[in-house]
Amino acid sequence: MNTRLPLLLLPAAVFVLGIYAWPTLLLLRNAFNEVGPTGAMIPAWSLATLRDVFADGFTLELTRNSLLLSASATALALLLAYPLSLFLFRTNSRWRGPLAVVAILPMLVSGVVRVFGWLAILGDRGLVNSVLQSVGLISAPLKLVFNWTGVTIGLTESIMPYMTLALLAGFGRLDRTLEEAARSLGASPWRGFLRVTLPLSLPAIALAGGLGFVLSMSAYITPKLLGGGRVFVLATEIFEQATTNTNWPVSAVLAIYTLVLLLALLALAQLASRALAR
Amino acid sequence: MTGYLELTGLHKRYGESIAVHDVSLAIGKGEAVALLGPSGCGKTTTLRMLAGLVDPDRGTIRVDGADITRLPAHRRNMGYVFQSYALFPHLSVARNIGFGLEERGVARGDITRRVGDALALVHLAGLERRRPRELSGGQQQRVALARALVVHPSVLLLDESLSNLDAKLRDAMRHEIRSIQKSLDITTLFVTHDQVEALTMCDRIAVMHRGRIAQIGTPEDIYERPAARFVAEFVGRANALAATRDGGGIRIWGAAQPMNDPGWPSFDILIRPQRMRLLPSAEPTGDAMRVEGRVLRRAFVGDRVEVLVEGPGGQLTVELPSGGTLPEEGTAIAVAWRPQDNLIFPPDAA
Ligand SMILES: Nc1ncnc2c1ncn2[C@@H]1O[C@H](COP(=O)(O)OP(=O)(O)O)[C@@H](O)[C@H]1O
Ligand SMILES: [Mg+2]
Repeated sequence: MNTRLPLLLLPAAVFVLGIYAWPTLLLLRNAFNEVGPTGAMIPAWSLATLRDVFADGFTLELTRNSLLLSASATALALLLAYPLSLFLFRTNSRWRGPLAVVAILPMLVSGVVRVFGWLAILGDRGLVNSVLQSVGLISAPLKLVFNWTGVTIGLTESIMPYMTLALLAGFGRLDRTLEEAARSLGASPWRGFLRVTLPLSLPAIALAGGLGFVLSMSAYITPKLLGGGRVFVLATEIFEQATTNTNWPVSAVLAIYTLVLLLALLALAQLASRALAR
Repeated sequence: MTGYLELTGLHKRYGESIAVHDVSLAIGKGEAVALLGPSGCGKTTTLRMLAGLVDPDRGTIRVDGADITRLPAHRRNMGYVFQSYALFPHLSVARNIGFGLEERGVARGDITRRVGDALALVHLAGLERRRPRELSGGQQQRVALARALVVHPSVLLLDESLSNLDAKLRDAMRHEIRSIQKSLDITTLFVTHDQVEALTMCDRIAVMHRGRIAQIGTPEDIYERPAARFVAEFVGRANALAATRDGGGIRIWGAAQPMNDPGWPSFDILIRPQRMRLLPSAEPTGDAMRVEGRVLRRAFVGDRVEVLVEGPGGQLTVELPSGGTLPEEGTAIAVAWRPQDNLIFPPDAA
């Protein structure tokens, strides 16, 4: 390796330290502060907030909600993104380019705009309910937003583009010839998929799954707006504590707790992907 | 002629270009036929149509009398050895070889036994648990062969199977594959662009050129009696000498030749380099074909010597066994050969 590499890393290092590491350290410091009777933060080295947060059953519920929502959104997004990515990876069609752009387009649209799009589609007077009602399939509108369903749908859509990209990047070991070999050995296309294509794409699935999960866990806008204040997750609670309650120590403890959870999950996905790639 | 494997009028086009043009071929039970031709002439496409991996535009494929043209690949029971081997990287050697048996629902114990036998057949016993990437190229090739053979396929198809191996290993594998093919008496179609492979490994050779079969015959037929100029030049080497008519006689490099006039205004005569001999310029040759020239260069190629001769009509190569006395570079020399060694084709019949 050459000696200039550290020099080349310098700008990125300064950037990361400045806008990520430093605020994170501040957050860590806040976690040990106390809140006075007036609501003002008092500098201290206390473990009281930490103890209170983990003694509170609500923290457990938040964790459970976050994990469940993220898991279902990730699973749904995988089911949708996997066939799409497989198609994009293989096709020689001239629609490949345009389709790929459409697939990652949501990434380029602001989260707020996307949420309002979903409200227009899933709301009580939205597209889905109007159509279903005018056809006569339902009499009262289905509750598709401001609840768990709405958040799941929104999260699924918002993480799909990232997962599509991760899957495409991870499909390196797939090879059409291997599927042809399976067929020549007597495997039907479906059997060939199960025995060759799927196992070889497991590392990509693990990576994409990890990414989708982490993105869902840290999503704020989607659970906040599509949950309509009725779906509580870690991200919304962190924001709530910091702004509405101005309880910075609680917010900091929850934020660091979430961060640790995410890092652990990412490491797990990384390990799984490596193990599956062997 | 009817055969165990019969292709009739197989045709495949990709857009504007015709990859395989009305190919018909009949292969007997237990016979090994080489499909020989330059890169891009349609060999792989033909093989893939046989295996069911490409749909022919028209034509039929029969195995043992049964029409399998529209049968999906996984029901054809053909062993296919891919050029890249296509071993499953996530499965052990044993599971790679057992793949086809598992798909056929063979019992566990039988699979283990048959995989063991197949590994012994290709001299890889003991490597059951390895992954493909832990094997050398030659070993991977053997696994691919064992995997294709273990299911007792009706036909074995090999696509340029030796081209990724180094020269020495290729020699060894040539003989090994041939002896396995013979001992199992398995009908085999062997695709190659290497004439040595075709000549040494097969009962018959089908030479392919631009999507068509130019000639089918035994290695001797192909080499001694090429049916087209392309075959003569692709299989073995040949000197092409331009012949012209002069009155009733034929001249090459300006010299009158003792041969019959085929009646064409001008044409090339092809002669194998080892069918020519050198003699002193003054020496008479009787009724042999003969041209005069000058020794340009000599090259030792192990057990042979190649002498490059330059004359009024260009250059030609004479191949001699090494060990004899050779004329010095620059000396005037005569090149002679027998009229029956002439290979003559109509003009423009490439
Ligand atoms: N899938 C394909 N799409 C378009 N053209 C193809 C395809 N497969 C083969 N060809 C063309 O058909 C011709 C024959 O190819 P191939 O059968 O692979 O030749 P070979 O194996 O003799 O080298 C080539 O000109 C090749 O470019
Ligand atoms: Mg080929």
